[in-house]
Formats: sequence, C-alpha cells, structure tokens
Amino acid sequence: MQEIKRRYVIPGDKIIEGNYKPLMNVVKSGNYLISTRVGIAEAGKDGVKVIPLSGVYIPRVNDLVIGKVIDRSSLSWDVDINACFLAHLPAQDVFGRDFSPAKDDMGRQLGIGDLIIARIVSFDRTRDPMLTVQDKDLGKIPYGEFIKISPTRVPRLIGKRGSMIQTIEQATQTRVIIGQNGIVVVTGRDPEGLSLAAKAIRLVEEESHTTNLTQRVKTLLNVQDPEDQEQSEAVEASSSSASGGGIQEPEPPQASAESTPQTTSSQPQPEPPQASAESTPQTTSSQPQPEPPQASAESTPQTTSSQPQPEPPQASAESSQTTSNSVKTSSSTKEKHKIENSEKSSNSNSNDDQKEKKQE
Amino acid sequence: MYSLKELTLLDENGIRSDGRGINDLRSIKITVGVVKNADGSAFIEFGKNKIIVAVYGPREVHPKHMALPDRCVLRCRYHMSPFSTDTRKNPAPSRREVEISKVMRESLEPSLILSDYPRAVIDVFVEVLQADGGSRCAGINAASVALADAGINMRDLVSACAAGRIADNIVLDVNDLEDKEGDADMPVAYMPNLEQVTLLQLDGKLTTTQFNECLNKAITGCKAVYEIQKDALMKKYFGNEMELKEEA
Repeated sequence: MQEIKRRYVIPGDKIIEGNYKPLMNVVKSGNYLISTRVGIAEAGKDGVKVIPLSGVYIPRVNDLVIGKVIDRSSLSWDVDINACFLAHLPAQDVFGRDFSPAKDDMGRQLGIGDLIIARIVSFDRTRDPMLTVQDKDLGKIPYGEFIKISPTRVPRLIGKRGSMIQTIEQATQTRVIIGQNGIVVVTGRDPEGLSLAAKAIRLVEEESHTTNLTQRVKTLLNVQDPEDQEQSEAVEASSSSASGGGIQEPEPPQASAESTPQTTSSQPQPEPPQASAESTPQTTSSQPQPEPPQASAESTPQTTSSQPQPEPPQASAESSQTTSNSVKTSSSTKEKHKIENSEKSSNSNSNDDQKEKKQE
Repeated sequence: MYSLKELTLLDENGIRSDGRGINDLRSIKITVGVVKNADGSAFIEFGKNKIIVAVYGPREVHPKHMALPDRCVLRCRYHMSPFSTDTRKNPAPSRREVEISKVMRESLEPSLILSDYPRAVIDVFVEVLQADGGSRCAGINAASVALADAGINMRDLVSACAAGRIADNIVLDVNDLEDKEGDADMPVAYMPNLEQVTLLQLDGKLTTTQFNECLNKAITGCKAVYEIQKDALMKKYFGNEMELKEEA
C-alpha cells in the first residue's frame, strides 16, 4: 500500500486515491479520500486520517474531562464540559447506591460553580454524556489556575508520552491537569511559575502545528537540554550525597509536591495513610491556611517542614494545593510520568522522613 | 439614454464602469479568525463589499424544540448594517435579508456534514459592513471559510461568484451599478472539488446559449475565488509554509 507524506489539508482536499480506509475526519468520494477539516493528513497501512487544527469538543466515552457544575436537579448535577451537550453526573455516583434525595444533601458534595474532573461513561447520538467520578484521581478540583485551550491542541500539549507537559511541569514547578475537552487547570505554589506555565500552554496552543515546538517551549522556560540536565543532575547528586542537600536543587518543590502522596502510599511508614491525615490538623492549626473545606492534603505539613522552601510563609498552604491536586492527574500518560517522577523523588522522600523523625 | 447607459457600463474596448475587463473579478481579500469570541470567523473584502462572518457551534439548540434528532440545525442570518449603503438602511430584517439568509443557508448546507452533530445547532452570522453588489456571494465565500475555521466537518468549501449580462456581453462578477442597470445577474455558489452547484439564481432574461455561457463564466469565477479562500485558510493555520516539514 502506498504511503503518503503528511501534509496540510483544508476541507475538500483530495488526500489520496485508492482503496484506503477512512479513519478520522475523512470521507470517501468516488475513488478519492477527502479531508473534512483543516488539519494534517496522514495515510498509513491502517487508513487515512486528518488531525484537526480547529473545532469544538465532541464528547467520547472514556474521555477525562474537566467540567463546571452549572445546575443540579434532585437526582443529578448538570455539568458544562465545554461541548455542545450538557453532561450529567448522577448523585448516586457520588453518594453511592443508597442515595436518597430526601435524606442526602447534594449541595454538601458539589455546589454550583465547582470544577470537577470526571470520566465520560456513556454518550451516543441520542443521549447526553453521563459522567462518573468513581475512579482514582477523579472528583472536585479545589483550586488552580483555569485555562481554556482549543480541544484540538490537547494532544500537542500532552506531547509524545507526556513529554511536553512533563517539561512544563518540571520547569515551572507546577501541576497541570488537562481535560480532553480543552480545559486545563494549573496549580502550584509559585505565582511566577504559574504565569510561566500559562504562557507556555498558550504558546503550545498558538503554535501547535509548527515544528520544533518542544524546543521553543524549552527556550521559553529556560530549560536545559536533557543531556546537559543529566550531567548537571549527576553533579548535584554527587554534591548532595557529600554535603547532605545542596542549596540549588533543580526541582525541590516539584519533588515535594509529588512526593507527598507517594510517601504515604509507598514508603514503609509506621502510620497508615489515614494516620497521616490525622496528623494534618495538628500542624495546620498552628499555621494560617486559606484551606478549602475539604482539606484533602494528607501529609502536607510533613513535606513543608522537611523541604527547603524558598517562601516559608505561603509554603504549607500552597504545597497542600499541589498535593491535593497532584492526585488528580488527567491522563494515563501523566500517571505514567508521575510514577517516573515518584521514582526520581523517592531519594528525597527518604531524606525527608529521616529529617521528620529527627524533628519529632 | 440607452446609449449613455451602454457607454457607462461597457465601453467599446470592453472596459467596464470600474475599469475591469469582462472576465475580471474584483479584488478579493479574506482574513480568517477575526472574531475571537466566535468558534470560527472570517472577514472578506470583495471589491467594495466588506463583510464579517462569525460561526458559533455546534452548540446546544435554544429553543430546544428546534433540535433535530438525527442532524444538526444550520441557522444563517444575513444582515446589512444601517451604514452599509449610501442611504441609511433600516436595521430591522427586511424581506430581502430574510430571503438571502435562506438562500445562503441552502447554499452552505450541502457542503456540511450535519449528521455528525445530532441535536446541535450551528449559527452563521453574516454582517454586511459595506455593500456594493454581490454581497450574498461574498457572504457565502466568507461563511464557508468561517465554517472551516470553526472546525465543522465539510465535504468541500463553497465558493460563490456572480456573472451577468451587460449590453449583450456576458461579464463576470457583477457589481452594484451593473446589477441595477444591467440586463441579467446570476449568482452561483459552487463546490470546486466536488464540482457541484449549490446555488443558482437568475434575475433577468437570458437565452439558452447566454445562460450556459453565464454559468460557465460564474463557475470559472468560483474556482478563482476558491484559490483565495484556500490561501486564506492556509495562511491562518500554517503560516506561509504550504508543505509540512517533518519534525526531527
């Protein structure tokens, strides 16, 4: 079968002639396959597809989306998921099977205006999308910077195996939650990092079709090339092992943010995860925290006390933000990369634990 | 009086009132993505016509009872601004505007794959800022580009151009004066890749030969307009690169 070069197309352009299978945004007309969108056409052995560069979000089953609760009925919430249909989140999904509209107060769980990350469980031509939050990392997003991008730019923002988003997160020390519907929430402790991450996301959105974008994002974020970074990391590792912690850490807040949930789950600790949650109020009571009602940051103070923080007054509150949100990652690729990061940060975690024990 | 009109519209050298030859289009410029709040938009300057088009959707249908279970509803609104003509135009929708809205919708519909968006609506707003004859054709051109910009599945772009008869000559792209003083005016909308006509109107009288000549000339004009539409879209999305360079 003839392979064609990837090329730019607009609606009506003939992509290829022959007996190919139309996969995505392609229709067959006579013996030709015709593009239906502005985008990049690709033809392979499987068939022909066009990666679109514009368009609104059309829901698909199993998509992770970020939505805003805009209304509620007695049995479900209506969620705006940036699509042409309103999504519904059944109250039973949140309260469990024994939900009773008379007994349970839906407003206690989700209010109008709340942002949630959810998965689409069902959607077809005849019915509105149905959401679920019954999965790991799903549920309410307590806070963060809200950015809306074109849904067609989402794959580019994530990058190959999460490379792009990983670059942005590491360079700006933020956590980026991406919904397939083009809604992005950025959380982090450093306001400069937040604005830089937002700028990088905007750059990806505007120049998503261009080549060498990763390099330009790295330039914007002042990120070194991976080879240089590896070398510098090796140098730092050797210096830190000698001195017990360097002054300039390439990613200390990131490590702290990522380390917290994993510390509770993976490290052999005397306390179970609930116990670490119990420990939170003790510390939080001593520190003024602009905390939302559901303080889901389990082991935040531990991290705060143990990590070398550039901004001590804000640190605990904001690190708790990062912690709580770091649980809610939007895509499987991101989960994967989080695991990688956890492996990276495991060394720092063990150091932290030792320090905490000493402090105690 | 007749000779004066003939002289004004087309001189003995085949030069028209605005200096064009009989086969010349007016200058056309299309800019894509001019309305930030819209899902897709375009601005067209077609001679002295200046038209802005914004596309919203697919989105929820309001009122809900208008929704169709199997396909998307296409709504089109053609409107002339009060300042678009030499004497003030009443901003309320006139009979002519309602009719042009309908014919524009019908000319765009065949190019759209509306069955991809059941129970939704696509709104196309065509606002004429300055009119100089052929505004429905110019509006269709801009609307088609704006729909592509909005990312709506389309079989092809729709290009439109008029042809007409002036002093027994078939001319391309009739302007306002020629429309009013000429013998016939025939707007045509056409899908160039699929080679299908989506709109054909005729105001005036033509013989069969003249009709065929007029239609062929209009289609030639549509093909020329298509190249401009294509360039405008390419420029918006791919800059000046027409070929994709593979990333290392």
